Amino acid sequence: MLTYAFFAVFTAGAGFISINGTAGWLNLASELGIIAIPVGLLMISGEFDLSIGSTVGAASMIVALGTNHFGLPIWPVIFLALAAGMFIGLCNGLAVVKTNLPSFIVTLSTNFIVIGATMGFSRLLANVTSSSIVTTDSAKFVFAARWGQANISILWWAIAALIGYWVLSRTVFGNWIYATGGNLQAARGAGVPVERVKISLFIGAGFAAAFVGILQGVQWNSGNSTYGMGYVFQVPIVVVIGGILLSGGYGSVMGIVLGTSLFGVISTGIFYTGWNTDWIQLFLGVLLGIAVLANNYVRRLALTARRES
Amino acid sequence: MKLISKFTRAIGLAAVAVTIGTATPAAAQDEGPIIVVSGPLSWPFFAAVKQGFDDAAELFGIEYQYIAVTDTANMTSDYPRLLQQAISRNPRMLLVGEFFPDGMDPLIREATAAGIPVLIHNSGQTMWEDNGSIGFVGEDPYQMGYKAGQIQADAGVTTGLCFNQVPGNPTVEERCNGYVAAMEEAGLATIYQTIGTGDATNPQAMTQAIKGTLQANPEIDGIYTLNAVPAMSALRAVEEVGRAGEVMIGTADLSNEVLLAIQSGDIAFAMDQQPYLQGFMSIQIASQFLEYGLQPIGHIKTGPLVIDASNVEQTLEVNRAHAGVRGAD
Repeated sequence: MLTYAFFAVFTAGAGFISINGTAGWLNLASELGIIAIPVGLLMISGEFDLSIGSTVGAASMIVALGTNHFGLPIWPVIFLALAAGMFIGLCNGLAVVKTNLPSFIVTLSTNFIVIGATMGFSRLLANVTSSSIVTTDSAKFVFAARWGQANISILWWAIAALIGYWVLSRTVFGNWIYATGGNLQAARGAGVPVERVKISLFIGAGFAAAFVGILQGVQWNSGNSTYGMGYVFQVPIVVVIGGILLSGGYGSVMGIVLGTSLFGVISTGIFYTGWNTDWIQLFLGVLLGIAVLANNYVRRLALTARRES
Repeated sequence: MKLISKFTRAIGLAAVAVTIGTATPAAAQDEGPIIVVSGPLSWPFFAAVKQGFDDAAELFGIEYQYIAVTDTANMTSDYPRLLQQAISRNPRMLLVGEFFPDGMDPLIREATAAGIPVLIHNSGQTMWEDNGSIGFVGEDPYQMGYKAGQIQADAGVTTGLCFNQVPGNPTVEERCNGYVAAMEEAGLATIYQTIGTGDATNPQAMTQAIKGTLQANPEIDGIYTLNAVPAMSALRAVEEVGRAGEVMIGTADLSNEVLLAIQSGDIAFAMDQQPYLQGFMSIQIASQFLEYGLQPIGHIKTGPLVIDASNVEQTLEVNRAHAGVRGAD
């Protein structure tokens, strides 16, 4: 809130707080946010996913190659891309629960495998590494419809948040997620199917990443194997700003949404100030640091208050 | 720790010494691979360079090896390392894109001193004569930006924005330097804009950045982008702030989308450095140098070729018939 007010003041007259300015940062935040929600749940369960970056690019290339080079209709190719995302998630999940290796390492390697495979196969099949996408009106509507300057991705983000909220707060599965991340041994002892929980969450993250890849691909009429690489860091950043512990076991969907919004406001708002942009990342880093410290402080206050009552 | 690092350095030096020792007499012989150190293939631009290498290699009956980074986050330090590995394999000939001269030039000097013939392509236009290379095939990024600035100044742009999506890359930055220089020579104002390094491949982030800049500086009436993807982001940003048709957009490098936008008049021009030629001519020169000792005198310019409304149709046609040759699809 403070950050938003800060930019509202410093961008006075540049239209940041106008409807179009708001649509702008929401567009950016929503694409990040759709991935951040399942990854946030995954982090609450104590695991990490860095392979989402290359999954975004892979999904966009599957749609591009399918429609442009093989002349396939777009919808089956979209489902194929979503299935590929879920398959990547399944592989991550199986590898993590079977080997007990840190998911940080496992998914880092998957991230390289997926982008390498995407580029390799694209070269092999069509001799390109980025390609146009042939869309239809229905696909355009689902993934790239716009109301004014607001993208449909904002709606998808809201739906993802609602699903995430429902799962985490209203279902047994949600309790299992907290239990798995809080204390793995205790959860296993209490009969929580921790392996199934983790694998399902990895699949969810892969699905969301593929979804955003299709969304970006259809929106920009092209697939590119490097789409989404920035998310590898940005997604964990917004999840942590949202108050989720890196060690797992604590956090909320509302927090993730706020963390993502904060990131969207900062990284878009800064361009409306008209300041020298060499300093952008310094400024972004400082603001993120302050935001995380403030979150931490508030959370500690909340926890002490609960203990006293 | 200190001891260990000293020890490894000593081994490293010894290894280099051994390679150089063996390389000198054998360098011009038939053995050893022909190694190409070039750009990441995830960029359509370098995919087209590689297409040129491949086609020429087939035509001239040459086998070669293409090495490049796959992770573009640490290119400045990764490229010298790749080059070092290539040199240590005692190649028959080295074809190098000298993207990061500070780290790569000393290595190239090392290679040429050891008798390995080196041909520079794409980047390195100011260095090749001094480091012992036999030639250069490519463009001057400064001149490309300069030409873009001249075109916009001539078209009546008063305030130009140079948008750099990969800050820290010296070659790409030169394009903005050239653009700014040309605009300033014409007495015009410029704004230089960069974006966070994590967002270099996120078109949405680039759109929002350019949109914000346009809102904060309503006097901007010309934009120059350094790649085809940000060009499309610039186009959308201009439309979103309601100034379509008022802001002249020009870009470096091509894509199918950019070509279509030039055709419809939304983008004014794109600078083509003809990447395919860079690859094709490099292999041709390598083949004739190794076989007959022939080499071109002076450097071969492949760009910039300005693509605008006058020649966009033909470019699109080539693109349809031969995917990848123009670096765009």
